[in-house]
Parts: sequence; structure tokens; C-alpha cells
Amino acid sequence: MGDVVLELAGLTKEFGLGENVLRILHGLDLVIRRGEFVGIVGASGSGKTTLLNLLGCLDRPTSGRYWLAGRDVAQLDDDELARERNRSIGFIFQSFQLIPQLDVLENVELPLFYDGAPRKERRPRCEELLASVGMMHRLHSYPTQLSGGECQRVAIARALVNRPALLLADEPTGNLDSKNGAEVMQLFRRLHAEGRTIVMVTHNPEIAAALPRVVEMQDGRIVRDGAPEARLAAAMASGAHA
Amino acid sequence: MSLERILEILGQGLRGLRRNKLRSFLTMLGMIFGVGSVITMLSVGAGARAEILARIGELGVTNIILNSIKPPEETKPADQEEWIARYGLTFDDAEYIRAVVPTVSDLLRVNRVTERAWYGSRRIESSVMGVEPRHLAMFGLTVGRGRAFTTVDDRSRSKVCLVRPGFVRQLESVVDPLGQHVSIGGYPFEIIGILEDAQFRSHTAKALNLDGAAQEIYVPYSTSMSTLGTLTAIQRAGSYEASKVELDQIVVSVRSPEEVFDTARMLSAALGSKHKKKDFEIVVPLELLQQSEATQRTFNLVMILIASISLLVGGIGIANIMLATITERTREIGVRRALGARRRDISVQFLTETTSIAVVGGLIGCLAGLAGIQGIARYTSWKAIVEPHYVLVALSISCAVGILFGIYPARRAAQMNPITALRHE
Repeated sequence: MGDVVLELAGLTKEFGLGENVLRILHGLDLVIRRGEFVGIVGASGSGKTTLLNLLGCLDRPTSGRYWLAGRDVAQLDDDELARERNRSIGFIFQSFQLIPQLDVLENVELPLFYDGAPRKERRPRCEELLASVGMMHRLHSYPTQLSGGECQRVAIARALVNRPALLLADEPTGNLDSKNGAEVMQLFRRLHAEGRTIVMVTHNPEIAAALPRVVEMQDGRIVRDGAPEARLAAAMASGAHA
Repeated sequence: MSLERILEILGQGLRGLRRNKLRSFLTMLGMIFGVGSVITMLSVGAGARAEILARIGELGVTNIILNSIKPPEETKPADQEEWIARYGLTFDDAEYIRAVVPTVSDLLRVNRVTERAWYGSRRIESSVMGVEPRHLAMFGLTVGRGRAFTTVDDRSRSKVCLVRPGFVRQLESVVDPLGQHVSIGGYPFEIIGILEDAQFRSHTAKALNLDGAAQEIYVPYSTSMSTLGTLTAIQRAGSYEASKVELDQIVVSVRSPEEVFDTARMLSAALGSKHKKKDFEIVVPLELLQQSEATQRTFNLVMILIASISLLVGGIGIANIMLATITERTREIGVRRALGARRRDISVQFLTETTSIAVVGGLIGCLAGLAGIQGIARYTSWKAIVEPHYVLVALSISCAVGILFGIYPARRAAQMNPITALRHE
């Protein structure tokens, strides 16, 4: 349990130039170890999306350090960031983000394709993952032919295909009904049990309450970090109802 | 990059076309027209070039042809019933050319008489060409059946003749006309050979000053001089008009094409001093060739311009549609970037798609061009020659257009920020 997958030190992010600089993140420090399942919560505008983009190597911090799987990735160039996204990170989006022109198998193959794996090596790996999320029967269906829950299962298979150090999920159940949402959460819990490291952004207090560790953001700072207290969940629930 | 990967990327590009068939086809239209016109242009150009070469081949690049022509002032005075017009090249001229123009390597005389040839009771309007035996080879008059006449025939003034296949048809003979006699100017001439070709090409006939309506009959020069003479008579109701032309045509040969123009100038000067009236013309086949080539160059230039414009329009169409496609597929680009695609991978993907559109359009254009050439060949007198490498040229051009006009859209796609692309609605 001692391995650090992700470490942030004094991470800041600013947008704009000159006098119009807007500071979104104010020096974040965070350590996430292998096998952790961490939720990130916070009101909109709290900086969680910006944090997620930085964690996902889609953007570079203005200052501070970011070690991902032992490598400093804070100031990598564009191609190197693409490589990190490809090999170290698995993205799971709220709106699934499957490519509509590609079938299920081809969608899952994409990260392997960009990693340069030959076609014949990709297929068994993809089938193995699709089998594990229960989608083997839809290999050659197109995303428009699938239900939301099925789409998200395919997207999860795609995120896992390159054996990433970190799974980044952004509101993975946000576009699903409660039954499908529960199934997808069940899948996440299984992945956690298998020892994967997961960071999940969520608005849903029930989901957040069930996670072993929750990081709460407010105005670009981490205001709480640890096991979710019943009080927090209750506060968020009453806030949501208000 | 391995070959397998290149093939896979190409396959993805081609699959992209099938995604929206109608749009792909409409996008290709510009390329189809552009490449179609390139193929047609090349083929028609090659056909025209071959035609010119064949034409000059028939006349000979080292030949200069002098024709006697009737000067405009030489018309029959109204008060005279009998009139003989005297004009044209003379025997003297031939000797004079031989004596004073040093570059002349050969000189052939032609005596032409318009006469009626009789075969039994059939009458055929004919141009009787008295030519020296070498003349036959010089103008490609090959004998299909029978034999050509020789210097022996010429020297012994044999009454033999060569006729065109059309003449034979007009005879409507039940027996083989070869070896039969036709009567020309009261003399029986034996048909010793039938020429292979039905007629000269129109340009050759014009250069040789031939009458298209009359059938050509070739007889030895000496025979024609001793039997038919130099007087051509035209009898009309109540009047009689004749012309006396000593030499209807002189064909001068030089040793090399470089000497042609100097010789033509010398001939013009030498004959000009002896002829007060403009009663001869000088035809220089090499000059015709150069004129044709100049025309051909202009034609090619115009065609290249037209083809370039259509290819340009085709390319712009492709770029335009790709730009629209990229906006439409912004999220896809964002997802691919998030999954690890580098800018270069996105560029390559869209370049492959534009190139696929261009090349597939080019292929269809080739087919359309070939169909167009068939149409041209059927409904016009133009000749078209299709060479296999034209297809290669056309496909290379389409490939180049696809890459060239794909660069900007591909750059646009590659420069997208993955974060905003992912959130694009």
C-alpha cells in the first residue's frame, strides 16, 4: 500500500495574462497511493474540473510539481503529455465519449492503437476487458445502438486497456438512471477491490458518502481530505435539497 | 512506422469516406472533373501530336513542294472563244533550280492532267499524275496488289498506271481490273497495281494541291509527257478553255531538316526573278509542322490552365468540407487526444482522409475521363491516345492535391485544445 501513484506539491493554475490573471488553484498538496479510491467533491467553480484536467495531463500547471507514477509530469511538452495520457491514465467521462463512427471493439482498441501496438496484439486484450465488463456480446455494435449503461461499461473497458496507473472518472454516473448508475458503481467497487487506483469527481452525496476517502474543494483549495463524515454527507444532502 | 500501421491508417481513411457517402461523393466531384479533364487533355493532346507527326511523315520533313497555281489575272477574255492559259513552273525552272540552288539533293517533276478515264463504257473523272518512280516511295504510295512502276517503265514510256481502291470500285468491273486496260486521252493504260490507301490525309492532299473530287491515277512521268502532254482542256457548252502548264509540281529534297528553310528562301528568290506573275506556291512541310506545334503548345497551355483551375476548385472543395467535418468532429478529436493521440496522429488521420477523398475522386475521374475520350472519339474527328502512365500522372496529381489541401484542415484539427474539444457540444 506504500506506493505513491500521484503526488501534488504546491500546484497552482492561473488563467489569463497580465492584470487579468485569474488564479483557479492555490497551491494544492495531495498524495494518493496505489489502490486508493478517492472522490473529489466541491461546488461548481471550486476548481475541481481544473484539477481533473491537470491530473489527466490535459493541461500544465502554472507552478508546482506533479509526480505521476514516480515521474515529474508538470512541465512535459505536448507529445510527452499525450504519452502520459496514453499509458498512465484511463479516462471515464460523464457522457461516455465513445467515438460514434467506431464500433465497440474499435473504441476499446484506440489507446492501444495510439500506443503503437500491432492489430493482432490488440484484439485479445480488448476482448478480455470487454468480457470482464460483460460486453462481449456487443463487440461490433456501434455506440448509438447501446444503452447508456452499456456505453459506460465499454468506456471503462477502454480506460483499462493500457493498464494505466490511474483511473480518472468525471461524474461517471451523471448521465445514467439509478439502476445503471448503481451497476456502474458496482463495477468501480470491483475495480477498487482488484487494487486499481481511482479518482472520481462526483456531485452525488450518496456516492461520495460511500467512498473510503473524499477530497473536498472550495475556491481553489482543498478544505477537507479524509474519510467522509456523516455530517459532510448530511450537509451536502441538505445543501442539494435547499 | 511499420507497413502494417500505414495500411491500417489508410484503411481508416477509406472507411471515413463510406461514413457519409453522399457528402464524400459531392466533395469528390471537383476532383472527378479535374482529373477527368487532365486525362482527356493528355490523351487528346497525344492524339493531335501523333496526327501531326503522321501528316508530316507523309509529306516528308526534308521536302519542299512547289505547286503551279493559276494566277488570278489569268482568266479567259470574254470576247474570245478559244483561250489557252499559260502559267506555272517550267522545264527551265527545274533546270535552273538544279543549277543554282546547291542544297538540292533531289528534284522530282510532276505532270498532272485532268482527263477522263474510260473503262469500257464507264467514264471516270480523273487526275492523271505523271510522276517519277521515286515519287511513289517519297509520298508513301505503297502498292497493295500488283506492282509499282519502275525507272524502266519510265524510260521506255510504258503505258502503265496505278490506281486507288476507290477508282477500282467506280469501275464496277466483273473481272479483276488488275491487268485490264483503261483508256486515258485515247491511249490504253494497263492497270499494273492498286494502291493500298484510299486517299491522302486531307492536309497532304491540300499541300500537294490535289483535287479531292477526281480519282488519282499514277503513270510514269515520261509516259504522261509523251502521250497526254502538258495541255489540260476543259470543254464547256460553247466554249473551250485550256491551260498549258509545263510542270504542275516540283518536289525538292534536301539532305537535312536544317537546310529546309534556307533552301525554301533560295527557291523563292530564284523563281521570283523568273516569274512576273504569282503563279506558283512553295509549301514547306517542316513549316507546317512547326506551326502545328505552336498551335499545340497554345492548346496544351489552355488545357493545363483549365485542368489546374478545376483541380484547384476540387482541392478547395475538399478543404472546405474537411473544415466543416473537423468542427463537427471536435469531440472526437478531443477524445482521441485524451486517449493519447499526439497532434501528429490527428494531422495524419485527417490528411489521410483528404488524400483518400482526392485519390478515390481521382480514380473515378480517370474512369470518367476514359469515358469522355470514348465519346470524343465517337462524335468528333479528334484522335485520342491513352497511355497507361497518364493514369499514374492523374493519380499522383490527386494525391498531391489531397495532401496540399488537407494540410490546413489537418493543422486546425491538430492545434485544437483537447480540453475545449472534449467539452464541445
